[in-house]
Amino acid sequence: MKIDPTPAYHQPTMFGYRISTRTLRREAFGIFALVALTLIIIGPMMTVFLWAFAERWRQPALLPTEWGLSYWYETLARNDITSAMPMSLGLALTVTALSAIICLPAAYAFARINFPGRQGLLLSFLAVNAFPRFGLYVTIAVVFFRLGLVGTLPGVILIQLVNTLLTMIWIPTSAFQNIDRALEEAALDVGAGRLRVFFQITLPQVFPALAAALLLTFVSTFYEAQGALIIGIPGIRTMAVLMYSYINNQIVVQYGAVISLMLWLPSLVLLSFAQKFLRGNTVSSGFGV
Amino acid sequence: MPTLDLINLRKQFGSVTNPVVAVNDLNINVADGEFLCILGPSGCGKSTALRMVAGFEEPSGGDVQIDQQSIINMPPNKRPTAMVFQKYTLWPHMKVYDNIAFGLKLRHLPKNQIDQEVQASLELVGLGRYGDRYPAQLSGGEQQRVAIARALVLKPKILLLDEPFSNLDALLRVRLREELRQIQRNLKITAVFVTHDQEEALSLADRIAVMSKGELQQLDKPATIYARPKTLFVADFIGAMNMLDGEVNGGVVKVGNQRLPSPAECVAAPAKIAIRPEDVIVTQTGEGAWHGRITQVSDLGHYRKVFVQSPDLGMLKLYLPKSIEINDGEMITFKPTRFLIFQGPLPPFEVKL
Ligand SMILES: Nc1ncnc2c1ncn2[C@@H]1O[C@H](COP(=O)(O)OP(=O)(O)OP(=O)(O)O)[C@@H](O)[C@H]1O
Ligand SMILES: [Mg+2]
Repeated sequence: MKIDPTPAYHQPTMFGYRISTRTLRREAFGIFALVALTLIIIGPMMTVFLWAFAERWRQPALLPTEWGLSYWYETLARNDITSAMPMSLGLALTVTALSAIICLPAAYAFARINFPGRQGLLLSFLAVNAFPRFGLYVTIAVVFFRLGLVGTLPGVILIQLVNTLLTMIWIPTSAFQNIDRALEEAALDVGAGRLRVFFQITLPQVFPALAAALLLTFVSTFYEAQGALIIGIPGIRTMAVLMYSYINNQIVVQYGAVISLMLWLPSLVLLSFAQKFLRGNTVSSGFGV
Repeated sequence: MPTLDLINLRKQFGSVTNPVVAVNDLNINVADGEFLCILGPSGCGKSTALRMVAGFEEPSGGDVQIDQQSIINMPPNKRPTAMVFQKYTLWPHMKVYDNIAFGLKLRHLPKNQIDQEVQASLELVGLGRYGDRYPAQLSGGEQQRVAIARALVLKPKILLLDEPFSNLDALLRVRLREELRQIQRNLKITAVFVTHDQEEALSLADRIAVMSKGELQQLDKPATIYARPKTLFVADFIGAMNMLDGEVNGGVVKVGNQRLPSPAECVAAPAKIAIRPEDVIVTQTGEGAWHGRITQVSDLGHYRKVFVQSPDLGMLKLYLPKSIEINDGEMITFKPTRFLIFQGPLPPFEVKL
């Protein structure tokens, strides 16, 4: 056997690592994409962030000229805000929980039972989201008014539930459909009852999808303002509704900025939690290996 | 001593107006400790029959009995059967250990006993140190072994296997089925094994139940199935067979231009003559023999597979010993040593010359 004395490859190095030109090009594209994404997503968020801590920010200046927390004190001192935050959180939690209780069994049925009208029913959830919401809300408001639901918590819960149907039925349905029935049969076969099969075999496997659906539902309910505004006023005022009215009625930008920052908080907490949890779950269960 | 009986078992899918009869009036008895294969082409109702035993499919009629007790009203999770599926059905979110222990935990066994039994069943299938792996970290063959361990660990009365190795490559399939057979013999467990692979059935089974279009064709030992197929379907489906048209008349059956003896019980009518490729000898004389031209010769180790184009019989397949010198394109004279005469739906008559 002959040994080739020349090294197998000559490649540029970066930070001491050998990098091929192809990797380099891919790397460059990645960095470019990252920067673009940052500008598009983080840019506006950054502006809001800066505004929330700005005492004074005149046009040509790149950054606020005076920093401070005075708008935070002022906002937090307001009664409507301190009562709207728990209201929003409670409402979003309640709606998400109710939606899960109603939709998850339904999604399982959609995935497993082929009943007549199944397709049409599934599409009808899409229909709710396919047309402008506003008209729908106004019609519902008329009905709710007669039922005495306008301005009440149950009224707002109902209207927000309607919004969650699509996410909470479609995502879990397709997740359940992806679980092979034979996996459930194998569990029945070794002696597990139907309920145990659902909770110990089926549910753990759709868990990532379910978590995503729950998260989306929670966040979108938390931010939902149209329905809450039309059905909820004057009795029910959520953070999202308040933010709209502040942005509309105040000349001072800072109030709106502070409230939006406060609105981010729950989603940021949830998202970081979800990310950690989902990653741990998928890796440990050996998906995608 | 577990026995299994399928009695007039029937399953109909589809609507009343457009019924699909998947299993029709099936009668199979499986003796204690027997290894029975259900064999048939795709779509003949093998899986449906097995799934009715496991409880996943509700029969449209008939009965399933274990030890002479009907289990038809038992839900699948209460039945003393355990099934190994064709698809990979290990639960992906559980380690191998937990997959096997799942059924034991449901039975509230003490922890150390569960540990022991899981380990013992893993050793049984040769995967003693795989308990900590996730199913996705196993090969297909290993996954099916774990599935077998998962079924065996529950000490089921009846082990059901629905083409468990059909997703595996040929070599592994042969190895695993031999291992399975060995385990089944040692444990003396009663097993029903579904397959569409006749070689698999012939080499494994104590008895084979051949099915076609939802109906039982024959239930016999492999050697009997091969030597004395009861129906034309079985004759054609199992092994290689030359099917010739004949006409019975007064103690002889006319096939092509030759007359062969036929039993007195045969009625004067057209018949199908079935000749195995190996039941033929090459002769010199023209008496009672056909002739034809050799179109293809393949060497198969200890014998030769020869295709012969005969002017009045069409194409025939013959297995001939290597001692005979034959070549492509030559003429050959041959006659049968043994054949079956099929008339209508009756079992065939066997003729030996
Ligand atoms: N759930 C069902 N609904 C309607 N028809 C079905 C259903 N299950 C099976 N069938 C039909 O019943 C017949 C028998 O199916 P079965 O699965 O038992 O066949 P098989 O012998 O196991 O075939 P294979 O070797 O391909 O697995 C087929 O014609 C099939 O189309
Ligand atoms: Mg099948």
